[in-house]
Amino acid sequence: MLIDFRFKALDPIRNNVNWILRPLEYVMMMPRNAFESTSEYFTTRSTLDQENQVMKVRQAELSLLANQSEFLMVENQNLRELMALQKQVPFKTLPVEILFNPPNPISQRIVINRGSNDGLKLGNPIANDSGILGQVVRLYDRSAEVSLLEDRDFAVPVQVARNGLRAAVFGAGRGNPLELRYLPVASDLEVGDILLTSGIDGIYPPGFAVAVISKIERNADKNSSNVFCVPVAAVNRYRQALALLYDPQFDAKAPVNNKSATGTPSTNTPGRRQTRARGMQ
Amino acid sequence: MIDFQSGYILRPVNPVFIYFSLFCALLLNLLPIGNYGWVPDWLVLCIVFWNIHQHRYVSVITAFILGLMMDVHNSDLLGLHAFSYSLVAYVAISWHRRIVALTVLSQAMHLLPIFLLVSLFPVLAHWLLSGDLYWWALTGAIQALIEAMLWPIATRVLLAPQRRPIDVDHNRPL
Repeated sequence: MLIDFRFKALDPIRNNVNWILRPLEYVMMMPRNAFESTSEYFTTRSTLDQENQVMKVRQAELSLLANQSEFLMVENQNLRELMALQKQVPFKTLPVEILFNPPNPISQRIVINRGSNDGLKLGNPIANDSGILGQVVRLYDRSAEVSLLEDRDFAVPVQVARNGLRAAVFGAGRGNPLELRYLPVASDLEVGDILLTSGIDGIYPPGFAVAVISKIERNADKNSSNVFCVPVAAVNRYRQALALLYDPQFDAKAPVNNKSATGTPSTNTPGRRQTRARGMQ
Repeated sequence: MIDFQSGYILRPVNPVFIYFSLFCALLLNLLPIGNYGWVPDWLVLCIVFWNIHQHRYVSVITAFILGLMMDVHNSDLLGLHAFSYSLVAYVAISWHRRIVALTVLSQAMHLLPIFLLVSLFPVLAHWLLSGDLYWWALTGAIQALIEAMLWPIATRVLLAPQRRPIDVDHNRPL
């Protein structure tokens, strides 16, 4: 136990046991899947019709948005190039299915049906259509374990959508609201603010919704505020999700040759530490 | 072996039935019910039962291997269930002479601490390793209570093949 806790050295054993165990798990998932598929089969025609209608409207809206967003993205990349900022890294998505929720009193995890053989990497975020669900914490060949947002001390760097204030959301254990920690009393937060991933950690792509602030307790004596929020994505509801294969390379850029016309020496004089320009993503 | 409940001598046990029941219990544990603290751990019930009644067939080593499988399934630290299952198997084997002679209900009362040990061991081990105690996870005690309540049923089901009469007279049943 100690070896596993400190060194993570037993993962090969785990992978082998998993290789034996996974078929049995699939067998035991069959009754539930059969039950779900039959109940889906018996949904009435009118329900399906209604759903179809809603879906069509939604799809029209989304395709319009998608066209627009592509245009905006190209424009954004061009502007970034003009400003000599680092470009936004595009990412691929991989559809995954949530297999089951292992019974474990200490952590909140799910097991998904894609693993290292499908190109998944340790630390890849998992999201569904509304927001971030969690992050891959343990990889097998054909499956992976994902830590959910609700998991205790699970941290996501976020940005308040309204004013760009940066913070970190922490999980507080199962069924408890998420917390925004380390924020002073005077910080500009309101109930209902949406928190997006800020993307400064290099793990989560920027701009995905994570949580909504639900309650703020300001504590003027200690100059701290307890901010509670609810995850945007329904963490324990759906079976389908997307893995975001996002791998930005944060390399230092080549120094910009900015000898200006007035003849001032460049900033890279000897003895001066070479630093990156501020404000890079 | 004497069945202390009825006073009859039981039929010899079939090892295939033992391993089949352990396998079924493992499958029941793999059911995707969800992360609920109260769902009984069928495997530990089965292991403890066979440890008490037939400790020659189901030993500490069997408990260890099955515990390893549960660790991987539950995404726990590797060895958490393996250790607690083998500890419990040891305790059950060393108590088996005393426990078999009791009535079923008092057997269940005696086994409650064993089940409590299994349910609360992961929480305690995590407490020792990382230093924070998950109070919420202590509801695993409910699981132990449910397992103790299931003990009479387990006795009935798992001893049924051995309680069959030896020669059945078809002309005069009973």
